Amino acid sequence: MSAGNGKRPERTYWRSLEQLQGDSRSADFLHREFPESASEAPAELLRDGVSRRSMLAMLGGTASLAGLTGCDIIRRPVEHIVPYVDAPEGMVPGVPLAYATTMPFGSRALGLLVESHEGRPTKVEGNELHPFSEGASSVWAQSSMLDLYDPDRSKSVRFADEASSWDDFVAAWTEGNLGPAADGTGFAILAEPSSSPTLIRLKEALLDRYPRARWVIWEPVSEEKADQGTTLAAGEHVHALYHIDRAQVLLTLDSDFLSTEGDSVRNLRGYSRARRVNEEGGGSPLRHYAVDGVHSVTAANADHRLRVQSGRVAAFVARLGSALAGHGLELPLDAGGPAGDIDDTWVDALAQDLIAHRGAGLIVAGNRQPAAVHAAVYALNSALGNAGSTVTYHRTADTGSSSEADLAALAAAIHEGAVDRLLVLGANPAYNAPADLDFPAALESLDSAGAVIHVGAYRDETSRFARWHVPLAHYLESWGDARATDGTASVVQPLIEPLYGAKSLVEVLALAALGESRDGRDLVRETWSGILGLPLEEDADDAAAAGASAEAEAEAETAADGEGEEAVPEEAVPVDPMSLPFPVALSEFEVAWRKVLHDGLLDGSAAPAADLPAIAPEDGAAAVRAAGEAAQAIVASDDLEIVFRCSPAVHDGRFANNGWLQELPDAITKLTWDNAALISPATAGALGLENEDLVTVASGGRELELPVWQVPGQADNTVTIDLGYGRDFAGRIASAANSEGHGPGRNAYLLRTSEAPDLARGTLNPTGGTYPLAQTQDHHSMEGRPIVREADLDYFEAHPDFATAHSEKPHENSMWDEWTYQDSPQWGMTIDLNACVGCNACMIACQSENNVPIVGKEQVMEGREMHWLRIDRYFSDEGESRGMLRDLVQDLPSEPQTSFQPVPCMQCENAPCEQVCPVAATVHDSEGLNAMVYNRCIGTRYCSNNCPYKVRRFNYFNFTKDTPEVMKLGKNPDVTIRSRGVMEKCTYCVQRISRAKVDARRDGRGLADGDVVTACQQACPAEAIRFGDITDAASGVSEAKASPRNYNLLDDLHTKPRTTYLAKIRHPNREITPAPPPAEDHGDEDAGHGEDAH
Amino acid sequence: MRRLPEAAVLVAVLLLLGCRGMPSPFPPIHPNPNMDYQERYDPQEASAFFYDGMAMRQPVAGTVARGQLDVDHRLLFGRDDEGYFLETSPIAVTDDVLARGENRYIIYCQPCHDERGTGQGILFERANTPTASLHDERIAAYNDGRMYDVITNGVGLMAGYRYPLTVDDRWAVVAYVRELQEERRILQAERAARQ
Repeated sequence: MSAGNGKRPERTYWRSLEQLQGDSRSADFLHREFPESASEAPAELLRDGVSRRSMLAMLGGTASLAGLTGCDIIRRPVEHIVPYVDAPEGMVPGVPLAYATTMPFGSRALGLLVESHEGRPTKVEGNELHPFSEGASSVWAQSSMLDLYDPDRSKSVRFADEASSWDDFVAAWTEGNLGPAADGTGFAILAEPSSSPTLIRLKEALLDRYPRARWVIWEPVSEEKADQGTTLAAGEHVHALYHIDRAQVLLTLDSDFLSTEGDSVRNLRGYSRARRVNEEGGGSPLRHYAVDGVHSVTAANADHRLRVQSGRVAAFVARLGSALAGHGLELPLDAGGPAGDIDDTWVDALAQDLIAHRGAGLIVAGNRQPAAVHAAVYALNSALGNAGSTVTYHRTADTGSSSEADLAALAAAIHEGAVDRLLVLGANPAYNAPADLDFPAALESLDSAGAVIHVGAYRDETSRFARWHVPLAHYLESWGDARATDGTASVVQPLIEPLYGAKSLVEVLALAALGESRDGRDLVRETWSGILGLPLEEDADDAAAAGASAEAEAEAETAADGEGEEAVPEEAVPVDPMSLPFPVALSEFEVAWRKVLHDGLLDGSAAPAADLPAIAPEDGAAAVRAAGEAAQAIVASDDLEIVFRCSPAVHDGRFANNGWLQELPDAITKLTWDNAALISPATAGALGLENEDLVTVASGGRELELPVWQVPGQADNTVTIDLGYGRDFAGRIASAANSEGHGPGRNAYLLRTSEAPDLARGTLNPTGGTYPLAQTQDHHSMEGRPIVREADLDYFEAHPDFATAHSEKPHENSMWDEWTYQDSPQWGMTIDLNACVGCNACMIACQSENNVPIVGKEQVMEGREMHWLRIDRYFSDEGESRGMLRDLVQDLPSEPQTSFQPVPCMQCENAPCEQVCPVAATVHDSEGLNAMVYNRCIGTRYCSNNCPYKVRRFNYFNFTKDTPEVMKLGKNPDVTIRSRGVMEKCTYCVQRISRAKVDARRDGRGLADGDVVTACQQACPAEAIRFGDITDAASGVSEAKASPRNYNLLDDLHTKPRTTYLAKIRHPNREITPAPPPAEDHGDEDAGHGEDAH
Repeated sequence: MRRLPEAAVLVAVLLLLGCRGMPSPFPPIHPNPNMDYQERYDPQEASAFFYDGMAMRQPVAGTVARGQLDVDHRLLFGRDDEGYFLETSPIAVTDDVLARGENRYIIYCQPCHDERGTGQGILFERANTPTASLHDERIAAYNDGRMYDVITNGVGLMAGYRYPLTVDDRWAVVAYVRELQEERRILQAERAARQ
């Protein structure tokens, strides 16, 4: 009855360390659906973190019922119908349209298709035509929708902290004394990297006009070192593009390229394709080795993981270089001796694998690693013949790389008084610049001279020092453009006029560079005239406008003609004005431009891979040796390594005011609303620390107080701290003070210096206090049953039916009359655990599509988070059998294997929830959906109590009351906004099913496979989720359900779930992990996985 | 005491009757909100956020929605490269197109123009709205492009139908009107031949 039956009968699964240790609170979560206080009135409402009250205040407070008395409160509100006065052509109210646009992200870009209801964007999807999306999207793309409608955005141009206007700003720049000196002396611009062709053009124009101006490019989480290393090795500035789908062996070095780094959506798609298992046998799926200290999403999915401190990865690269040379790679390196903490068997096995797969291997280094490592990786990829095959390099134009040195020089110049005008374009140096540069002080000294102009989406830490502040437009409301890593050019097409009159980067820059206020669309079209090689008709709009008025005149005349029909004889009209020619043909540019807007990209604009010469063996060897020299020594336990990580939720802090992201559980730690000092259980044991203990992290004379969280799989003597939290001025979500006196998390930038921006050294000292953290990992535990089923590839090949062979099915009889399903379609879903990497994109897509509210930290601590789709994360370990778990306390696992399992509603055919609902609020429909009728629900919560999968969510409070007007604009009008006291759950996106049916009927055809795509399926970059009609044998979902890996979750309950899982297959190297001995007796109940036993 | 129920019924009936004819200026009492009014914007709802009070917005000028790549001026405006109206429709006339045209004609054109195109529709009948007969010589002489233009932009009292009718639908209506005119001509010719 277990995962990997018979293969590893001794593998033990657990959900958290508390559970492993039998913590009483964890046991509470296991035994009750919601912990004790969750079902009662919250007595400790204001206990910690973000309270419900402050949460509601955050969510709104604008609309209030004050002033209403007596019966007015219960009277039906007066509603007005407000139709279009000038209805746009091609839009039917209630039928959404989709627009292609692009989300620029640093010097990268992701093509999107955004759904618009009556001119309001409501949902972000990937653009299936864009090669970097292929229809998928990321957590950040999905949640950017919420940022557009953020009520805390900056709402007007401000001068000296008073509301001003764009016109005043333009006047001050062009006529007043705001503009810089004629040659740009003392003029500095601080911007983030960008690949926008228009921005590049305007940057050149600005530097032409002000030759002495200083243009600094910097962002806190950048690819600076990767750029430096690649430039060092390749001899020129090129961008690496990974083709993981062509790879068979992958080595990642402290890289999180599946989640926070690089083109994660594209990488993830290639990764999951490469890992596909050919069920007919043959073929070899990708084998993934990971070497890192941080337990990231990428590390969690590796077949083999070597846990070393991030600073030791460089030493590993040198050791690998020697091993490769030892196994016959043309690389003049000494065989090299053992390198301390690095396992020689492991390295040798990896080296052999890489050599056996020349041209089909790939080595990827992470952004935190020094330039020397990136240069060495370039050399190794080149020597192994991977360059040109699994990795190509592209010469893509961008505004330049982020540069820490330039930023330091700018800070020095400001302190020296050499800067008298600073234009900050979207950056936030007062918050996130290295602490030793002391940017707040620098800005303050400039501010007294009125010299700082801040362009940003929020009135943030930096705008406090700016005399002028200009609100920055969201990408969904402005014109722009961007190039993807391979040069694919696309246009940022606005979905709505700027909500607060904000200006885009190109508009602000045009004022600085050209000295005039220009329309963003005109600026972008001018650039694209060059890209398309077609002349722009300057007066095209004027011509159209003139044409329109001519047409109107003509109409007026005809109208007069028509009215006078009876009186005036036909012959009296000499020339019918309607017979005059009226040219309407579009110019060549216009036709090409509209095609680009329609598709979302310019076909064939990708730059060919740069033909870089193979690196000479001596140079390669030198690069590898240099990496070894860059390696840090092994640190002692009282001197820890501190890793500053880009947060998988709020990135570098730019998304800190996004409630969806704050409440998104981290893939590994399952923490929400906070960052923490992440350490391994062994380190915690050595320091005598427990979860939630407060410690002072000290480094280089700077200190930061943080709670501790233990993460199995984290390298020992390493502390990982997420950046981007602890914002002081970023809006109500990011900066709302809780009882601890600060917003979510702590600001790790206070510890970060320009000498050690990514990896620092420091100490941990307990303060004696504790700080509660909100995590979702112990909730909804599944009580030790075979939930995730997985096997190694060789075992799977010998036992293709392993996933179901030993399922315990006690009977096939139901206590209830079973439903019969005659109609077609019958909906079903499969989730491929082999493809899923736990990136969380589906969770945010579901939240966005289904109007799922956020509940705040305090409610998450009560187990009341509302995500309809959760991703369970299990750690597994060889070792003890069930019943022995409590004894493991002394020997905490440090090298677990991680499995992810997305869990939406199973849509059971024999649904236990339906049988206990006293008011028939949850019922079955003829297509197999387990439907929720919200209006009938009286909130008994019996259904949730009876659900074995714990996928039902209850509205303990009216979480959507007092939603600000602007946030209502982004809600999906096709989905009910649930009120207090109502149970809710995954509906298989029933609104999308209905839409597809209506569309099919309108077109006079039947539903075809692929007509209905659920939000989670659409977003998934790994193609793990399939949905469709299970009565159609040719549908994708039927095909998946026919797989031998297909199994039902908790099969023994005979719930007959419509959502099923495909078992995970790992592909270990037998040189490293020997095959386990054949298992003894599968029939014995105790021989199964003892997951959550206790 | 035995009369109590009867008395109660009488009082209740009088109370209910007493409320008749007394309209309240207030909206009805609605004690259980029950998610009838939700924090989202349905089509044609009002919003206090925008200056014009509408939750519905205009698409940004110059944007192109997926599936609406309209760059063919012959199809879109019914005009040729020089800007003259097309003599014949740019789409092929099939039975499906005619059926679609008939369907749209009955919905959008018949109320004024009448099912046979004589301009004697319900609006003429009841409101005496002057409506052109589609069999008028002047209108019968329109080329296809011009007829399309009239449907699109309107003429005289007639409103433009560019909003409810898609480009393809407008051309289908043109085809159907041509069919009506043709039928009429044939019938008239037959009648003339008989006489």
